[in-house]
Amino acid sequence: MNTIPITINDKKLDVDPAKTILEVCRENDIEILTMCHLKGIIDIGACRLCLVEIEGINKLLSACTTKVAANMVVKTSTERIKKYQRITAELFFAERNHVCSVCVANGKCELQQLGYKVEMDHIRYPHLFPHCEVDTSHPWYVMDHNRCIMCTRCVRVCNEVEGAHNWDVMNRGHQVRIISDFNTPWGESITCTSCGKCLHACPTGAIWPKAIVQGQLEKKPEIISELMEKRKMKL
Amino acid sequence: MDKRKLFISPVTRIEGHANITIELDDNGNVSDALFHVNEFRGFEKFCEGRMYTEMPTITPRICGICPTSHTLASVKACEMIQGIQPTYTANLLRRLMHIGQNLSSHALSFFHLSSPDFLLGYDSDPAKRNILGIAEKFPDIALRGIRLRKFGQELSERITGKKIHIMGIAPGGMAYPLTEENRKALLNWIPEALQTVQLGINIIRKFHEENTAMVQSFANSPTLYLGTVGSGGEHELYDGKLRFIDADGIILQDQVSPQQYLDFIAERSVNWSYLKYPYYKPLGFDKGFYRVGPLARLNVATRMKTPLAQKEFEHFKSIGSGKPVHGAFYYHYTRLIEALSDVEDAERILNDPDVTSLHIQHHGRWNYDEGIGSTEAPRGTLFHHYKTDETGKLVKVNLLIATGQNNPSMNRSVLEVARQYVKGDDIKEGMLNRVESAIRCYDPCLSCSTHAMGSMPMVIEVKDKKGELIKRLERF
Repeated sequence: MNTIPITINDKKLDVDPAKTILEVCRENDIEILTMCHLKGIIDIGACRLCLVEIEGINKLLSACTTKVAANMVVKTSTERIKKYQRITAELFFAERNHVCSVCVANGKCELQQLGYKVEMDHIRYPHLFPHCEVDTSHPWYVMDHNRCIMCTRCVRVCNEVEGAHNWDVMNRGHQVRIISDFNTPWGESITCTSCGKCLHACPTGAIWPKAIVQGQLEKKPEIISELMEKRKMKL
Repeated sequence: MDKRKLFISPVTRIEGHANITIELDDNGNVSDALFHVNEFRGFEKFCEGRMYTEMPTITPRICGICPTSHTLASVKACEMIQGIQPTYTANLLRRLMHIGQNLSSHALSFFHLSSPDFLLGYDSDPAKRNILGIAEKFPDIALRGIRLRKFGQELSERITGKKIHIMGIAPGGMAYPLTEENRKALLNWIPEALQTVQLGINIIRKFHEENTAMVQSFANSPTLYLGTVGSGGEHELYDGKLRFIDADGIILQDQVSPQQYLDFIAERSVNWSYLKYPYYKPLGFDKGFYRVGPLARLNVATRMKTPLAQKEFEHFKSIGSGKPVHGAFYYHYTRLIEALSDVEDAERILNDPDVTSLHIQHHGRWNYDEGIGSTEAPRGTLFHHYKTDETGKLVKVNLLIATGQNNPSMNRSVLEVARQYVKGDDIKEGMLNRVESAIRCYDPCLSCSTHAMGSMPMVIEVKDKKGELIKRLERF
């Protein structure tokens, strides 16, 4: 295999040129925060948490969508990056109605963990407190838009892994919403197979099974990744 | 007639925020008194639109003192919606946690909030008339009170991993079992907890003996009573049927299913408080005031379920010669009799061989569009009533909280005590503490927080009809 030399956080590495900065970092135990990334499905650089500094480029670039290049010099944990990660986390919380104490995902939520990770002790931005629907029309699952961070993992999993494309996105800016089919109640979807992959892909308490209470939620996003690995290997 | 008013704001050493207004006539005599609850929570409204299965998680946040009661009433309503029952072991574990909360709450009420009045005196220095003052003068009592509360919280922690806003009480049962290690650790607490409760009983009985006239006359107007009882009329906290009695002890309704609560209880709003006025429907608003809580539960009960508590219960019953005891002061005593029963019952449950079984949950799904759950919170009978659409989304929520049901009586008690102790010409802090203590007897839980210290600011202002200040008394 051809390799190229790169430097990440002063560490010299020889890496596969087909890989992204994020993939290389994960393989070499270099921590990068992510929210919209889910191994096995296509990365879109939406959450902006994986921003890295690359020597010679003024802009911060998302590690999940940027391929490595020969002699690239990358920094993943500078004060500038930490500042933006904190801002991003605060904006996630300010944009919708996240109340960890009563959320079914309390203690098992990637957004909550992110808050701890970036040491978010308060939020500097005004909360939008939008009015968001809770779609309970599906017989087994609930879609609570109050807790959605628009990572679109559910959209991509449904499309790329299940092949159903029940989920999609409508509107723009802060009015953006995940929709089922052409914005119909989830329970009336003609494409949803009720496979539950979106539930496991969702990093927060936005999608959850109706029958459980706080403390009983078990999300396993890794099963999506394992499934895609097996498909690649044609198992 | 020219009216002057006394304002007690805030009322201290209670759970929540409230004020009292005392109206005086020209001669300085009390003409009226109003108990205002000046906080608004809005749970009934903002829970609309949520999934009904979220309610056992959302509603405990109403209160940091009695979250388990809210969870249990809520989960029972959910079980009615699903049409299922919890497993035997789940019921044992729920009872244990409920006992833990009741003990913890009663310990807080007696040792932290009320004992300063009994042990230090109503007219003692307000700066020291609190748990810190008790810790200084009676360190063993203060420590025991704190440890009894710890035991109560540990009963929840060792089952669900959390002391206060517990997780894992799910429709159909429990999410977590009790391990053998935790069962043994909890059993080790029993002897100490029994000793502490009995110490509390000795304190209150001694106070009764030394202050018989005051205890018997303190806010003792007759009312009806509501409480939950077992099938034989025995005292019950977790699961049973409702019993209403009148002021003479005559049973008005017995073995009423909590699902029928609306047939017997109605509510009315008043313009001076966010707390509604519930009343016993068959007798109407004017004659239907009833009380709930420890005093009501022991007044309605035929017997206790455990031997030591039964012995104390018999002494309590002898006070009223078998008839209901009306003095609000007896809330403290009945709270401790319940605590005694709690410790004995906890020991019984912990020795049940099925308490560590792994068969802890039945599973169900939405089947009915209405659910009503009830339990006895530390402060009295609690109802959760939900209506849903066909997907399980809540369209209506009604929560009838124990303190709300005591509201008319608390208001009446304030008036009685104010008439007994307050004279407008010469207001002393100790007088107003007695008025506050009438409220404290009921241990009202007005919100989810505890404002426990006597060091909280209190300002009393006497104003004339035009609102001009006549006298101002401050406590900081």
